[in-house]
Amino acid sequence: MTRKKRVNIYKAAKTTTFYIFVTGVLVAMLLPLYFIVSLSFLSTREAYRYPLPLLPTLTARFELTHGERGYLLSVYDRTTQKYQSVLDTNDLEKMSIYMKYQLATPITIEEIEREIAKLETQDVVYFSHGTNLLYNYETFFKVAGTGQAIPALIRSLEICALTILISLAIGGMAGYAFARYMFRGRDLLKFSVLFVRMFPGVAIAMPMVIILAKMGFYDEPIGLSLVYSVGSIALTVWITASIFMGIPVSLEEAAQVFGATKLQAFLRITLPLALPGLAACAMYAFLGAWNETVSAIILTMFKPTFSVVVYQTVLGAVGQVNLAAAGGMVMALPAVIFTFFLRRYINQMWGGVTV
Amino acid sequence: MATLELINVTKRFGRNVVAVKSLSLEVHDGEYLVLLGPSGCGKTTTMRMIAGLEEVTEGTIILDGVDITDLPPRKRNVSMVFQNYAVWPHMTVYQNISYALKLKKMSQSEIDRIVKEVAGMTGIAQLLERYPSQLSGGQQQRVAVARAIAVSPKLFLMDEPLSNLDAKLRVATRTELKAIHYETEATTVFVTHDQSEAMSIADRIAIMKEGEIVQIGTPEEVYDKSASIFVADFIGTPPTNFMDVELVIEDGDVRLVNPYINLKLDPANAALLKDYDKKSLVLGIRPENIRLADKGEAVLSAQCLVSEPQGSHQIVAVELEDKLVKIVAPAHPKVRSEEMVHLAFRQEAMSFFAKDTGLRI
Repeated sequence: MTRKKRVNIYKAAKTTTFYIFVTGVLVAMLLPLYFIVSLSFLSTREAYRYPLPLLPTLTARFELTHGERGYLLSVYDRTTQKYQSVLDTNDLEKMSIYMKYQLATPITIEEIEREIAKLETQDVVYFSHGTNLLYNYETFFKVAGTGQAIPALIRSLEICALTILISLAIGGMAGYAFARYMFRGRDLLKFSVLFVRMFPGVAIAMPMVIILAKMGFYDEPIGLSLVYSVGSIALTVWITASIFMGIPVSLEEAAQVFGATKLQAFLRITLPLALPGLAACAMYAFLGAWNETVSAIILTMFKPTFSVVVYQTVLGAVGQVNLAAAGGMVMALPAVIFTFFLRRYINQMWGGVTV
Repeated sequence: MATLELINVTKRFGRNVVAVKSLSLEVHDGEYLVLLGPSGCGKTTTMRMIAGLEEVTEGTIILDGVDITDLPPRKRNVSMVFQNYAVWPHMTVYQNISYALKLKKMSQSEIDRIVKEVAGMTGIAQLLERYPSQLSGGQQQRVAVARAIAVSPKLFLMDEPLSNLDAKLRVATRTELKAIHYETEATTVFVTHDQSEAMSIADRIAIMKEGEIVQIGTPEEVYDKSASIFVADFIGTPPTNFMDVELVIEDGDVRLVNPYINLKLDPANAALLKDYDKKSLVLGIRPENIRLADKGEAVLSAQCLVSEPQGSHQIVAVELEDKLVKIVAPAHPKVRSEEMVHLAFRQEAMSFFAKDTGLRI
């Protein structure tokens, strides 16, 4: 084998390995996502099948025959490519309810009667009917948190907004001070800001409940956002301090020399330049507050956050995986939207503005 | 345009660090004054106090008859070019220049006119819509200058505006800055640590050391009549040659004596130094005031260590026992290494400094 050939083979092997690795990582990341998206659209019967269907049924195909107790309903199973008997009854209302709840097929009794009428002339009736893809989502909002899902969603958004506001206001100002002013104990103070993140939420749950109750903030959105802010303020301080340090003081000084007040100089010069960093902080604050469940369970009673509602769906009486998946999707969506919205600001930090 | 006056201005950082010591200075109307000194001498602090970016510990700053000591920067009617230019990266060149004008609530048409005018003056008219990140260092520097001119201030401050440019551009830009100065006739304070820059651009140079002005004068004055060893050493490349000498008066002859030289002074110098009999002095002589001579008239003969050709001239370094003496000689004939050279001093260009204080006699 010539040397050149050997080099080529080595190169090919290297490239192949690289792409196998990348694909593996991608699959590892995307597979769970695919799983939850697909699961959230499956009907209850499909969701508990083994093997699990890869995609939800858009049009369900049925077979009706005379059964022992009345009419025998079978549904086409794409995995086995056979009709499988699911129900034998002469109660049409029961059949309609079964089809709606288990097969996600919203069909009226009249429609069933029309198909059954055909059985007088033939032994077997085949018919199909469109499924309701969003059935799980509708059910989730109806059932989860005993109908509290939508108020909880709004409450969660409110908590996130408050958390972002508090942590950006306090953390941003502190970060600016750490970046621009020299004072005694500055480094110690800067590190001590991080100490609050040392303790797991559960460990300090009892004191938190007592303190918040005394403040009158127990079971209130503002109470939770205060708790979340403590953690994200620490992060915000560190991110913004380094951002502000990267913006030369002379830019602000120039603005002051050219006629701006200190505040104008900050608002017009430093703040726009710090925007990417602030956006990143807002994202961290949002995700932290949006995803947090443990403290929320402890610190709420009648006003749960959305993450608590989803959590209850997984564990509680409702307990259907497809409903939990739908809840998870609803949970993930705002975070994804928010992240995409902030992405262009954060991107500036790495590419756009060079200071 | 205006005059600037600093009266006993002092700046202390904390309790112990004195950056500027009771500094007094007057800048005349339309004058180009350069604050020159090594790093840490307080020149930038002085400028920042004039701009209002640094609080004055003691003393008064008066601009055009108005006490501006405690005014915020925006009310002082000064403009500044920063060392790192400090052009705002999120604004276009046009926005950079017009920002100050907008704050002054000028009409849009007037702003347009002024921006076009100063952009033309600084040669950036075609760059107005660009962002600073799309400009070279030299262009950013022009934007900073244009921005400073646009507000037509009473006083122009420049904090080492050329130090971030490469050597060739620096020389070209300083010529342009001076041309712009002739055009605007703005009173200007310019800070630099580069003595050749200061020499070429200044009407007057104030040389600072450890928070104090050690000499202030025209470039010629500070070069030819340096007030101290520090100034004579700091100004000029290569710097002044110094020699410790003893003054001896014998039979009416005034002579400078040390292990290498025994020089009879001319009448002018002799008169100047007649009270220093048997005292130690420091003789300072600039490299171009030593010439290669015949053996007969030589004050000093020694071996050449190296010769550095500069095209128009050559710099000859001669090694005495413990120090180098540098001479600026004509390019021809070329002096070779280890060649014996004979040196004569131009007596009228010699300076004498007291050994203890370092001050000029």
